[in-house]
Amino acid sequence: METNDTPPHVRLGLSRQRLVAGLRTMIASRETDDRLWLLNRQGRAHFVVTAAGHEATQLGCAWAIRVGHDYVIPYYRDMTLVMALGQSVLDVLLHAMARRDDPSSGGRQMFGHYSSRRLRIVSGSSSVGSHLVHAAGLGLAFRARGEQDIAVMGLFGEGATAEGAWHEGMTIAGIHQLPVVFVCQNNQYSISIPVHREVPVPDVAMKAAGYGMQGVVVDGNDVFAVYEAAHQAMERARNGGGPTLLECKTYRLRPHSSADDDRKYRSAEEVESWRARDPIKRFEHYLVEHGIITSEEIEALRREVRAEVDAATDAAVAAPYPSVESIADHLYG
Amino acid sequence: MPAMTFIEAIRSALHDSMAADDRIMVLGEDVAVKGGVFLATEGLLARFGEHRVIDMPIAECGIVGAAIGASLHGLLPVAEIQFADYIYPAIDQILNEAARFRYRSNGDWSCPIVVRAPCGAGIHGALYHSQSVERLFTSTPGIKVVIPSTPFDAKGLLIAAIHDPDPVIFFEHKQLYRSVRGDVPEGVYHEPIGKAVIRRSGSDMSVFTYGLMAHYSLTAAGQLAAEGIDAEVIDLRTLAPLDRDAILSSVKKTGRALIVHEDVLTGGIGGEIAALIAEYAFEYLDAPVRRLASPDLFATPFADPLEEHFMLNPQKIAAAMRDLARY
Repeated sequence: METNDTPPHVRLGLSRQRLVAGLRTMIASRETDDRLWLLNRQGRAHFVVTAAGHEATQLGCAWAIRVGHDYVIPYYRDMTLVMALGQSVLDVLLHAMARRDDPSSGGRQMFGHYSSRRLRIVSGSSSVGSHLVHAAGLGLAFRARGEQDIAVMGLFGEGATAEGAWHEGMTIAGIHQLPVVFVCQNNQYSISIPVHREVPVPDVAMKAAGYGMQGVVVDGNDVFAVYEAAHQAMERARNGGGPTLLECKTYRLRPHSSADDDRKYRSAEEVESWRARDPIKRFEHYLVEHGIITSEEIEALRREVRAEVDAATDAAVAAPYPSVESIADHLYG
Repeated sequence: MPAMTFIEAIRSALHDSMAADDRIMVLGEDVAVKGGVFLATEGLLARFGEHRVIDMPIAECGIVGAAIGASLHGLLPVAEIQFADYIYPAIDQILNEAARFRYRSNGDWSCPIVVRAPCGAGIHGALYHSQSVERLFTSTPGIKVVIPSTPFDAKGLLIAAIHDPDPVIFFEHKQLYRSVRGDVPEGVYHEPIGKAVIRRSGSDMSVFTYGLMAHYSLTAAGQLAAEGIDAEVIDLRTLAPLDRDAILSSVKKTGRALIVHEDVLTGGIGGEIAALIAEYAFEYLDAPVRRLASPDLFATPFADPLEEHFMLNPQKIAAAMRDLARY
């Protein structure tokens, strides 16, 4: 029997195997992120946009997605998400280093533009917020085809919620009660602009009321809270219950990108206070406390991931660039 | 073969292709219950239902963006922008999204949408119901731009656009909707995108044109024939990609070129055609390439004399042709 004391992973039916695989993905994402900053300083990766701090939000969301069935429309910060959906460390590094075999774009897109038709991860531009109208369109397509039991998850930062395209995507999804889950990863800054200068209400989720959909706020650093809310929202969408705006409150632990200096707009104390709430440490602590894994096993996992990142770095560095002859391929079908 | 007006041909293209292929859907403002402000989509809701014929809110970015999203799942959406003048909010979706989906995913995704938009002046539509905006789309690769001039082409090219693997911007001159009539086959047929047609064969000069101006140019050519000037009139039909072979072979035959379009002079497609001719057919020219286009304004002003002054007409085209013939 479940009680208030039932641990969340039990209540949510998450197996040990899934939890450990999830932790491995979180660690792989953070280690790859760290490696990319290093490669950037070495001049071997032109650009890094960080996922550090967002790992629990993205893993919780990924758990709610049926891979290759539901559509996912990510944004540039979704490295943990795409890794959890099936892109490897090597895939991400090939993308970051613009190699021919980058599965997201073949070396065409700047880092952070994840895509895979096989995994139903939809290609995006760098135009913030412009992708949520695609989510609404997918919902209309399911309806036109008479397909049920399928949903779309579209993800974005809180800064995107000021964009007209975001508003139009929300409006269309709300009018037609489409099976779309809009996930806001609210890390409290759009580059340098603090949230109170980008969002006129205390919670982004409050905006949902204006679009005829449910708004839900969760602690984005609590992977279980995110998963529970994302799973409920995706199930509701798949069952004809309409769209949801899910706000996951979190914090990015690094500057926005390798072209940013966050010391200009936030204090070291603030960043440190959030480092103490690191979602990976929090998840590790939970798993150890509940006897899912030992600290020694986590260290072994971390060593294993580092070896994978090392090997993937070597492979990506050695991988060929796209040929110059291919520059105009796929302009037209 | 029934005679149809241009708007009937558009409606017939949508109806017949939707009946033959359930992947095709139509979305836009007022397209379902009302059947479109020009009635291009009249009857489709009753025949195909509200999930394939969708009234959308006034949100052009959302309309085109939703069409893009639907296309990712294998559908063939036809989005209507009520007037070409309102396509601007959708430009990010057209140029930054639809045009690049295939390229930016290295061929993994594609975006086979059609965006239909009534364009053009001469109907007292003033600054925001009269614009010709094709120049905004012809300089971005990845999309195709089609402007038919006859009911036959309107149907065959629209069906081809719907089945084209790339996004197609499909402009319809609204003055043609009910002013021209012609034979249109029943059922589904394709006219090739990217191919110009010779509307009138001639030996003294080539007139490159499209849309409503194709009709005006033919009228002008008829007048000039009586004066002993034999003009060839080429209806481009597709502005991107341009039918370079048709343009160059015609000008190599006649040695003179006049480009006529309703879009403005500066930045209009006429400049590209003139450059093409200068680059690849210079030695064949007996006269400088001439362009006749709308003045460099946003669109026609509302006042009748200003609209009359703004618009090209057969007389103005005939004058430009005479001038070129005399050079």
